[in-house]
Amino acid sequence: MASSTLPDVPEGLCFHCLQPLPEDGGYPVTLHNKTYSVCCYGCQAVAETIAQQNLLHFYQYRDTSNPLQVPLVPEELQQLTAYDDEQLQQQFTRSEDGLRSINLSIDGMTCSACAWLIEQHLSRLAGVQQVQVNATTERVAIRWQPDAVKLSEILQAIAELGYRALPFQAANQEQEFKQRRRYFVTRLGVAGLATMQVMMLAIGLYFGVVSDLDAELRQFMWWISLFMATPVLLYSAQPFYISAIRSIQAGQPNMDVPVTFALLSAYGASAYATFINEGEVYFESVAMFTFFLLVGRYFELLARQKAVSAAANLVKLLPAIAQREIANGEYESVAVNRLQIGDVIQVLPGATIPADGELLSKSAGVNESILTGESRLVNKYQHETVLAGSINQNQAIRIKVSAIQQQTVLASIIELQDLALSRKPKLARVAERMASKFVVRILMLAAATFLIWTIIDPAEAFWVTLSVLVATCPCALALAAPTAVTGAIHKLNKSGILLRNADVLQILPDVKTVFVDKTGTLTTGEFTLQQLHVYKEHADEITVKALAQALENHSEHPLAAPLRHLTEARESVADVQNEAGYGLQANWRTDGHVTPVRIGSLRFIQQWHPTFSPKLTSAQVFLATSQHVLAEMQVGDKLRHDTQATIAAMQAAGIEVIMLTGDRLELAEQIAEQLNIKHVFANLLPADKLDKLTSAQIDGPVAMIGDGLNDGPVLAQADVSITFGHAADLARTAADVVLLRNQFSALNQFSEITSKARKILRQNILWALIYNIGILPVAMAGFVTPYIAAIGMSLSSLIVLLNSLRLYR
Amino acid sequence: MSIQMNVDWLAALLMGLAGAGHCVMMCGGIAGAFAGQVNKTQLFIYNLGRITSYAIAGALIGAAVGSIAGLADQGLVSLRIIAAFVLIAFGLYLGQWWFGLRHLERLGQPLWRRLQPFAASFRQRKSSYVSLFSAGMLWGWLPCGLVYSALSWAAISGSAMQGGLFMIAFGLGTLPAMFAFGWLSHSIQQLFKSKGFRQLMGALMIVYGLWTLIIAVRQLQLV
Repeated sequence: MASSTLPDVPEGLCFHCLQPLPEDGGYPVTLHNKTYSVCCYGCQAVAETIAQQNLLHFYQYRDTSNPLQVPLVPEELQQLTAYDDEQLQQQFTRSEDGLRSINLSIDGMTCSACAWLIEQHLSRLAGVQQVQVNATTERVAIRWQPDAVKLSEILQAIAELGYRALPFQAANQEQEFKQRRRYFVTRLGVAGLATMQVMMLAIGLYFGVVSDLDAELRQFMWWISLFMATPVLLYSAQPFYISAIRSIQAGQPNMDVPVTFALLSAYGASAYATFINEGEVYFESVAMFTFFLLVGRYFELLARQKAVSAAANLVKLLPAIAQREIANGEYESVAVNRLQIGDVIQVLPGATIPADGELLSKSAGVNESILTGESRLVNKYQHETVLAGSINQNQAIRIKVSAIQQQTVLASIIELQDLALSRKPKLARVAERMASKFVVRILMLAAATFLIWTIIDPAEAFWVTLSVLVATCPCALALAAPTAVTGAIHKLNKSGILLRNADVLQILPDVKTVFVDKTGTLTTGEFTLQQLHVYKEHADEITVKALAQALENHSEHPLAAPLRHLTEARESVADVQNEAGYGLQANWRTDGHVTPVRIGSLRFIQQWHPTFSPKLTSAQVFLATSQHVLAEMQVGDKLRHDTQATIAAMQAAGIEVIMLTGDRLELAEQIAEQLNIKHVFANLLPADKLDKLTSAQIDGPVAMIGDGLNDGPVLAQADVSITFGHAADLARTAADVVLLRNQFSALNQFSEITSKARKILRQNILWALIYNIGILPVAMAGFVTPYIAAIGMSLSSLIVLLNSLRLYR
Repeated sequence: MSIQMNVDWLAALLMGLAGAGHCVMMCGGIAGAFAGQVNKTQLFIYNLGRITSYAIAGALIGAAVGSIAGLADQGLVSLRIIAAFVLIAFGLYLGQWWFGLRHLERLGQPLWRRLQPFAASFRQRKSSYVSLFSAGMLWGWLPCGLVYSALSWAAISGSAMQGGLFMIAFGLGTLPAMFAFGWLSHSIQQLFKSKGFRQLMGALMIVYGLWTLIIAVRQLQLV
């Protein structure tokens, strides 16, 4: 034993007690012929004693990790490392650009201060790119670099703060909600009953002060009050103690710290007064304060539940079992989470499609209401993508799986929703930061109040301090933002509007300029071939149609869709290249020849045929080989039925609407005229659109509405970007807002809800600030008794809550 | 005066409790080293020895200071002011903001050097309660900033009786921390050790010190 060396402790810490060494390096102690540094004479003496008593094995086996970072117990650690398994992670993480993202549900998050704490703690981890904690849904969305930090390390970091984080599973959450509700309801019940009793006695006592209640009766009432208030203190108020302890442990005191102080000291002083039968009791304040705080927490929980249940329900609708095709053409049942990309599955009529995939059957009718909120039969054709969560309506179909589990569009919608709930608007973040700073100041001010009153009048010092602690609890401030944002998002979801970035709530009401894309935005985007002019000297109609269709099968441009199903005839093309903003180029194989061929805009064709001018004035799609122009096509597109009214409403609200389009001016103007849009910019490439938008941004925030396909850069540049729910592109879209029902009129609803939400948010914060700052001097001056303080605090929170609940209507 | 005395009791208990983080880190090692070898009764007896030492020290210093001063009220109040400053220093020490108390610890070193050799001999016969108790008593004389700041309060208590009682209250306050190793759950140990807890307790002690100071200064004016 004597020969073994003792394990080293982290640099800069005392060898004995693991606390920081003094700046001058501490004091030496020699153990096993080696000199270590300790922080003080005490540690020196203890270490020497331990050595003399042959107890050095203590140093051998103790945990030398920095004790200021609270360690986990080993068993739990082991469980967490299991989550590093790649196979397992597949099921609940998404990979994108070398980053991985996950949604975790967090157990034991009691307030938004907890969210703030977790956010701070995690963003300090190397390799963690983004952390968004949502106190409302008790979830956290994390993006991290898998090669820099392990998932288990992230989970452990959360556990260090005293929370339990697990990959989010909807089914569990429902259960947890139920449990949490029961948790609050029982505590609320106890507090409510006791409060009524104590209040009754308190009222009797107040009267007693006037009518000289005899001393024995008074003491009896005190004892009854003590008896009633005890379960409130020990049972009902538990959530506050737990939350306070956690926040203290992490060195970031939250508002439950002053609450705990107030409750324990009020109860302690009252109990003492009861025992010695002298002084004053505050049992009614203890009971009432606890009761009102619990009511606030309970309402917050209910609001949360409302907002979350919609999203959670989506996932539940996915089937658990799929029919997979096996080698001999028959089908076997497999668990959906066993499906692999490339598997072929069969979906029976009436069944829900379990995974995203390419349609192998000729056509299918599906209901995508789960994704878009609109229950309407959507026709899909061979090779098109069908989405998990949509319902197969007509006949049995075959699908080649292209995305499973977390990769599906449905999952991405849910994730976007979660993200929106967790991205707090700046104002909300400011409010939260204020609340947590407030706590430390309140504690300091309470201490100052106590000391000052000790000088003025020691007999009053205690209850004045108690009033300060109770009255200034920043509950209203902490509730102000989360409740309003949750309400707005809930309301928007109900209207089929998906908010990805809650900052929009803040910006949108200031937007005075709106850019709109034409095709697919103002118009339905459902095109048909309306006119076709074929240059008969170079090709016949059937060939033109077959060639156009072969090319356009490679394009996602909205003009391409109506050209994909023109004829039964087939032509073969190879080496298809997509030139963004121009069209497609490919090699056309006929009779052993290979001819370069293009389909696309006039400008694209004019690169080959500079002198060409179209016969049809309204043609937008041209087909040409490098030798000849083969055909001109006009693909028709009609206005969305609700465009006109919506644009008119926007203009009436003083918003300038500007059209941006890659189309030719004639076509653009035709639409603009119908809609009374004054400013039209046509013939724009994506880069030109970006220029227009950027220059407009100098004058103020700008919104862009586009269909999200070729408008990616412009949407990303705009202050508020709005797109439609072309579900397949959701994951890629750069928009802040997605109109899932593909209705233009949703914009009006959107701006209505947004301005209302902003108004409520501002009212909330303003009110909370006025109350908290206003009550402070009054309470410090000793004008507020503890029970009045409890009522004031609760009313201020209740007002904030009720104000936010207006959004749910 | 009676209310003031009651508060002092509370002060003693609070000081012990507030020091939990400090105690777990410093002496938890010894308790931990024993925990494997002794049962709870033995650990308790060991701690009883420690608290007895505190009480003896408190009584000695209380009596000494009490008799020297013969004490005019004025003198006691001045001592109270010193004690208030020690309490503030103690708060700063707990919160790890300022480590001035370390200098106080140094005072105890010579005493400990004399007592230490006994510790080894007691350890040879650890099975008997008497020797355990004696070992605990020795432990009570370890140089410890916490104990010394409590002693500075015992000094102004005015009598051997009060000083001893004060130190017993303090010792009881330190008990939870000592049993934390064997008894209390992991999470409570973690709470004691966490920086936030220590800073909060430090802040509490500072406020308490300031309060004492204010009262003492008021009394000084009244006299």
